[in-house]
Amino acid sequence: MSRLITAVLACWLAGAMPVLAAGPHPIALAIHGGAGVMDRAKMTAEREAAYRAGLTAALHAGYAILERGGTSLDAVAAVVRTLEDDPLFNAGRGAVLDARGDAELDAAIMDGNGPRAGAVAAVRHVKNPIELARLVMDKSPWVLLVGDGAEEFALEQGVVLVSPDYFRTERRIEELHQVQREHAAAAPSPLPKGTVGAVAVDRDGNLAAATSTGGLTNKHLGRVGDTPLIGAGTYANNESCAVSGTGTGEYFIRGVVAYDVCALVHYRHLPLAQAVHAVIFDKLQHAAADTGGLIAMDRDGNIVMEFNTPGMLRAAHDLHGRETVAIFRDDK
Amino acid sequence: MYAIAIHGGAGAMPRAALSAEREERYRHGLAAALDSGYAILERGGSSLDAVNTAVRILEDDPLFNAGHGAALTRDGAAELDAAIMDGRQLRAGAVASVRHVRNPIDLARRVMEKSRHVLLVGAGAEEFALEEHFALVPNHYFRTAERLAQLEREQRGERVSEILPASRGTVGAVALDGAGNLAAATSTGGMTNKRPGRVGDSPIIGAGTYARNGVCAVSATGHGEYFIRAVAAHHVCTAVQFRGLTLEQAVRELLGILGGMGGDGGLITVGADGTLVLEFNSGGMFRGARNSAGRREIAIY
Repeated sequence: MSRLITAVLACWLAGAMPVLAAGPHPIALAIHGGAGVMDRAKMTAEREAAYRAGLTAALHAGYAILERGGTSLDAVAAVVRTLEDDPLFNAGRGAVLDARGDAELDAAIMDGNGPRAGAVAAVRHVKNPIELARLVMDKSPWVLLVGDGAEEFALEQGVVLVSPDYFRTERRIEELHQVQREHAAAAPSPLPKGTVGAVAVDRDGNLAAATSTGGLTNKHLGRVGDTPLIGAGTYANNESCAVSGTGTGEYFIRGVVAYDVCALVHYRHLPLAQAVHAVIFDKLQHAAADTGGLIAMDRDGNIVMEFNTPGMLRAAHDLHGRETVAIFRDDK
Repeated sequence: MYAIAIHGGAGAMPRAALSAEREERYRHGLAAALDSGYAILERGGSSLDAVNTAVRILEDDPLFNAGHGAALTRDGAAELDAAIMDGRQLRAGAVASVRHVRNPIDLARRVMEKSRHVLLVGAGAEEFALEEHFALVPNHYFRTAERLAQLEREQRGERVSEILPASRGTVGAVALDGAGNLAAATSTGGMTNKRPGRVGDSPIIGAGTYARNGVCAVSATGHGEYFIRAVAAHHVCTAVQFRGLTLEQAVRELLGILGGMGGDGGLITVGADGTLVLEFNSGGMFRGARNSAGRREIAIY
């Protein structure tokens, strides 16, 4: 008994959350594929089915890892990698294109245990930016590497670079041309803009978050949004929560949104849903309409997926084993 | 009430490393930046102009790790990061990894005011600079003999950046103007011998730089990776805003958290009432503070 008390105490002293209940922590996973002004009337059944299939595949890829005792870090990385590889989503292949017609990619990953973090921004030749972010976290003393320097690091780590053509899809090229004709970057898109991301808790009770994106269509060369900025678009801390955001990045940066949610949970002891509501509706929607959404998970594994846009592509496998895939607000 | 605080970097700073003559030069450089920023507040100018001016002066001073005289990357080039934030509407602008912009803080301000973005990096940031008619300078403008010698020693395996003053860290300023507006600005060359493309906390809103009217303005300096993971600047402001901590308590709490993670450095902050808190958990921090109640100080240790 005294040994147990010592162990719990040592755990507490080390700053880790003591898991008092015997047995593994319940596992949970939530993912998103971007929030935006999605018009249900314009969404064909076929397209909707494709999104749902993409989300489901990513959810299963991540959940399988948690289920066999893997880490939340591996799970969120697997989810995001799957969504990066799927051309429907704005990350990796099929990312939106910048003003010059190239994809410039940003990604971040954060381990709530530590906490540790890695991120890359403005990379143009890295097939899976989330994996490079992970390497920055695991294999470098840095947190954020950008541009050519990030790609140099990728090469040093044995990552094979790809041609910018790999990322470009017909749909994104058309979308860019349409936006450039209309001189309006905010033109409604049939495809979700936003980002892709995931949050998870594993059997050891560790939280993790990961986010990846191509940013905004027709963006200025070198523009970096909230995704790779720790505290803005991505945050995880075992003492509070894990968050991955999606939306108009500039508002998320200025509001330090992801950290804000966790600070409300940690220091004001708000339930996760209230904290997310305060940030998404009171703070972000006050700043501008249709700013975006986020997925969040507290240390018990409770999931909140909220947005102030008409839709957010999202899916979850919750603590009770229930699986959901949804797009619009009234989707169950 | 109006008030301003500035910093020129924090570090180990053993007293023996700084001769009396050099110390005098540092104090002189800090005073020039502090008083120029203060003069703007005194004549009714904005806190945004005050912090911008103070940081520009420190960027131009080769003694400090920002702009001319910035620390060099492992390739011997200067790569600069900067951010500015206006506490009024939470507007912000930042640039990272720029190599040819004489005053990165001015470009950060331009990103805030003339673009729809907050953060621009690398060649894209410089393209924006050209669109905004900034004259670019060759990279050797930033390089000083002293920084080159420092890089060479670092690459030979000496940990000089832990000894030499102002070799790490950043420069920054925070201010409250007579209209009650808060602003913060930070600029840096980053760490000596850093990998090209490495970005620290300075240009990251909420990490190295943050300002929110009615709460506080913060500019940080130190080991950037820890400040990013701790979301340092925003941590201080949320502690004040949500939990009612005094600014001093919030800053001490944050330094405790950083210390626990193994990070060192310091912060300068100003509260909505003009309270100035300048704290660090390293050997020293080049700093200055001045307010309309008559306080004026320049300090290192």
